[in-house]
Amino acid sequence: MIRLQNLERSYPLAHGKFFYVLRDINLDIAEGEFVSIMGPSGAGKSTLLHILGMHDHGWTGEYFFNETAVHHLKAKERGALRNEQIGFVFQQYHLLDDLTVYENLEIPLSYRKVSKTERSAMVADTLDRFQIVAKRDLYPRQLSGGQQQLVGVARAIISNPKIILADEPTGNLHSSQGEEIMELFKKLNAGGTTIIQVTHSEKNAGYGNRIIQLRDGWLV
Amino acid sequence: MIDDIRFALRQLWKSPAFTLLAILTLAVGIGANTAIFTLMHDLFFRGLPFTEPDKIVRIYGEDKTRDLKQFPFSVPKFWQYRDGQTAFTQLATDWGNGYIMTGIGEPVQLLGANVTANYFDVLGIHPVMGRNFLLVEETKDDVALVTTTFVRKRLNSDPNVIGRSVTLNGVPTTIVGVLPELPISWFGRDAEVFVSKPFDPPGLAKDRLMRGVSFMRCIGRFKPGVTMQQAQASMPALDRGYREQYPENADNGLTSVLVPAAQDVTGNLRPAFYTLLAAVGAVLLIACSNVANLLLVRFTGRRREIALRMALGAERRSIVRLFVLESTLISAIAGAAGLCLALWTVSIVPRVAGDNIPFENNIALQWPVLIFTLALSLLTGFAMGLYPAWQSSRADLVDGLKDGGRAVSGSRGQHRFRRGLVMAQVGLSVVLLAGAAMLVSSFVRLSQQETGFRSDHIWVGGIGLPPAQYPDSASRARLVERLTQELQNAPAVQSVAITDAIPLSGNYSASPYARTDRDPVPVKQRPLGLTRSVWPNYFRTLGIPLLAGRDFSERDSVDQPWVVILSKATAKKLFPNEDPIGHQILFGTDNGNGRAAEVIGVVGDVRSQELSKENEVEFYRSWPQRDGPFFNLLVRTALKPEATLGTVRAKLSKIDNTLPILQPNTLEAIVTQSLGQQRLTMALLGAFAGIALLLAVVGIYGAVAYTVEQRTGEIGVRMALGAQANDVLRLVVRQGMHPVLLGLGLGLVGTFAAGRLLVAQLYKVSPHNPLLLAATASVLIIAALLACLIPARRATLVDPIQALRTE
Repeated sequence: MIRLQNLERSYPLAHGKFFYVLRDINLDIAEGEFVSIMGPSGAGKSTLLHILGMHDHGWTGEYFFNETAVHHLKAKERGALRNEQIGFVFQQYHLLDDLTVYENLEIPLSYRKVSKTERSAMVADTLDRFQIVAKRDLYPRQLSGGQQQLVGVARAIISNPKIILADEPTGNLHSSQGEEIMELFKKLNAGGTTIIQVTHSEKNAGYGNRIIQLRDGWLV
Repeated sequence: MIDDIRFALRQLWKSPAFTLLAILTLAVGIGANTAIFTLMHDLFFRGLPFTEPDKIVRIYGEDKTRDLKQFPFSVPKFWQYRDGQTAFTQLATDWGNGYIMTGIGEPVQLLGANVTANYFDVLGIHPVMGRNFLLVEETKDDVALVTTTFVRKRLNSDPNVIGRSVTLNGVPTTIVGVLPELPISWFGRDAEVFVSKPFDPPGLAKDRLMRGVSFMRCIGRFKPGVTMQQAQASMPALDRGYREQYPENADNGLTSVLVPAAQDVTGNLRPAFYTLLAAVGAVLLIACSNVANLLLVRFTGRRREIALRMALGAERRSIVRLFVLESTLISAIAGAAGLCLALWTVSIVPRVAGDNIPFENNIALQWPVLIFTLALSLLTGFAMGLYPAWQSSRADLVDGLKDGGRAVSGSRGQHRFRRGLVMAQVGLSVVLLAGAAMLVSSFVRLSQQETGFRSDHIWVGGIGLPPAQYPDSASRARLVERLTQELQNAPAVQSVAITDAIPLSGNYSASPYARTDRDPVPVKQRPLGLTRSVWPNYFRTLGIPLLAGRDFSERDSVDQPWVVILSKATAKKLFPNEDPIGHQILFGTDNGNGRAAEVIGVVGDVRSQELSKENEVEFYRSWPQRDGPFFNLLVRTALKPEATLGTVRAKLSKIDNTLPILQPNTLEAIVTQSLGQQRLTMALLGAFAGIALLLAVVGIYGAVAYTVEQRTGEIGVRMALGAQANDVLRLVVRQGMHPVLLGLGLGLVGTFAAGRLLVAQLYKVSPHNPLLLAATASVLIIAALLACLIPARRATLVDPIQALRTE
């Protein structure tokens, strides 16, 4: 599903030098996998995740997504591909403060030009599926961390992505809340969704079926 | 306190861009207000420089049934009222006059007035040298009071001016006193000489004078303890007494009306200046809201400092005081800058206004204005800083310290406050822009209004004929005839005419009239019709078409039967469905019934009184048959009209080298000057509207830019969730335009209300003109869109990775 070849990410320094965040990454991830990216702080985990999520465009090398050569796509085409195939879950949830749970769930759909009626149906379905119907009109600040992340995951899957990218999804949660979220990921993965998570937790990594170790930008 | 001031100054110094923007914004608002207040103070509040000016009134006659307003006094009426009144210490009178002074250098025409002996006593003006007139000098002795300017300019500051003789209108006249500088609003510009003998105007026979020819300004000073109401209540008895004493007089049917002196000179200017005051008030509010917004952002960004101060024991009150001090300092500095701006503005306004607004020559800074500016600055600073300071000082101590000083977007209340400010700015700007658009449109229409005559290539100048040398109509006619003949033969001169009053110059006279064949009512009940004495080729020179009959000719001299030419509107009004040629019209008060003149022609209508008003009635009389000691020369030339002065001067000198030329000008300039007040109002309101728009745009930009900055994280999340550049652009513009559109709606409602204020100042423009309102709304929407687009475009460049990391 995903193939990276000789992928590198660097930032320019003074005097024409570069600082490499990722070096010569070669990686294959098959459809249906549940991959955990691990490594110490500064190893390049989040950078790799953002490259996979097509947020970061400043890399070199080759990136194939389902045989589509992402490295040949223009920014707009990458955006369209991302919207169609990828969902995101963030450590800080990144729910929009001024929007209700319902509206937060609706956002990715609105950017995918889904009609209003269809959006309503999809949001209702998701609220039901995640058992948060009662919270639909609450604002993020009225939810616990776990509930916020639950909404974050719901928002990530609402547009039926093929792959979910999660950046430390349980980093801000109590362990019990973290377990719930990981169980949810496992369930989603069992349903066919490919999941790639960045985590520091061995326990969370254990929910997946493959661990990728990164150190100083290198795959080890 | 000193420490707080020092700290506040250091804070301002640390952020020069913010400080400069805030000071400039406020300086514009305070400067505009101070300028208008200075002008209004000069015109309305300072009061005339007379002793107890509020006790001086002008007395007018009016007759609503004949549409007569602000009618002056006649000689017999003045005498009757002067002797019969009980409410005033004295009544006095004057009438403006010109005096040719000979014997000192070149002959020169001076302006001034003939006044009663008590005139300056009634006003409370005391000579700086010499004395006022004596009662006996009203009828005997030729004496004059002159101004200090006269002494300086004409007599080389002669210290022995008292008792010196000057020749005025051919009469040796002794200077008995020197007056201080006189207010332009009351005496007009350039008044230098005042002579007594107010009851003997040249060119007016005694019997006509006594039949009620009205030309004198009558003033009175209340007796101690007498109020305006009491004085007004005493007038009907005087009116009755005059009617009984002079039952045949033309002016005995009028009702006397008292008008306070100050209101008399500036009354008609008040609506325009109240409009301007409202406009600058709006500009100041917009400026304040802009700076308040800036302060809110600035104070909110100092959350950590607030938290730290509170952690160290500061009370909320002291935090608020510190911030209010900072905003007050800004406004105090802005006040000083605004004052400079105001002084500059008031120095150029009189030039723009022309002669239409009686500003004094040097409008100086007055204490009330200084106090006004100071109060305005401090109040502005306090009001502007209070809410942001109060809001920001509500910072949560723990959060504030934890955040490490990172900028936060502020509470929902602060968001609402900022949006409210933008809304208010836009609303006020819409009102100002719409008002300016209406005035500009009105002015354009007025400027393009057909006058009915051609003003191009015409030189005009006044010539006074001293009664001593030109005692009768025949002698005056001889001079005019020779002068016009000489000028006709001059190179480049195409035609020459004379008139007693130039169109649109503000001078005009009116006579009672009636058709002879329609059982004319008594003279005192007859309407007054605008009457102009012209001679020869007047219509040809001004390009006024002759529609029927004939023009005046040399046959229509003083000893020939009277003739009259009617304007088209007059012919239609007096002779509907009839040919007016050959009919007779009674004019004036001769023989108690007026004298008949035969209609010999009809000419095109001319806007000669006001550009905005058609003359219902206008008669043209043959100048030799209705002449006076003064006439205006009109010369149509193929060259630039300004170049004609030399030719006229040479030709006039050839005939009489003692006659000066008064106020040489071009007719085009006179027409342009007639719109001076409208031009000033339009220019000032236009400038204020422009400033308002600029400030509003800056305000919108600032608010949207700040929002974008604060919402970088949110925008990053949205982009991470799939938002494209267009989505972000739409989001920012939509949210930025939301308060703009609300403000626009409110502004349009406000425009309807403000339209009432403007309606009296508009010409052929409705205050609710949909096109103008649509244009105003479009200008504002486009400006606001541009203001939103710049930060919105910046928002589309947000790097989601960076934004998420910051978040």
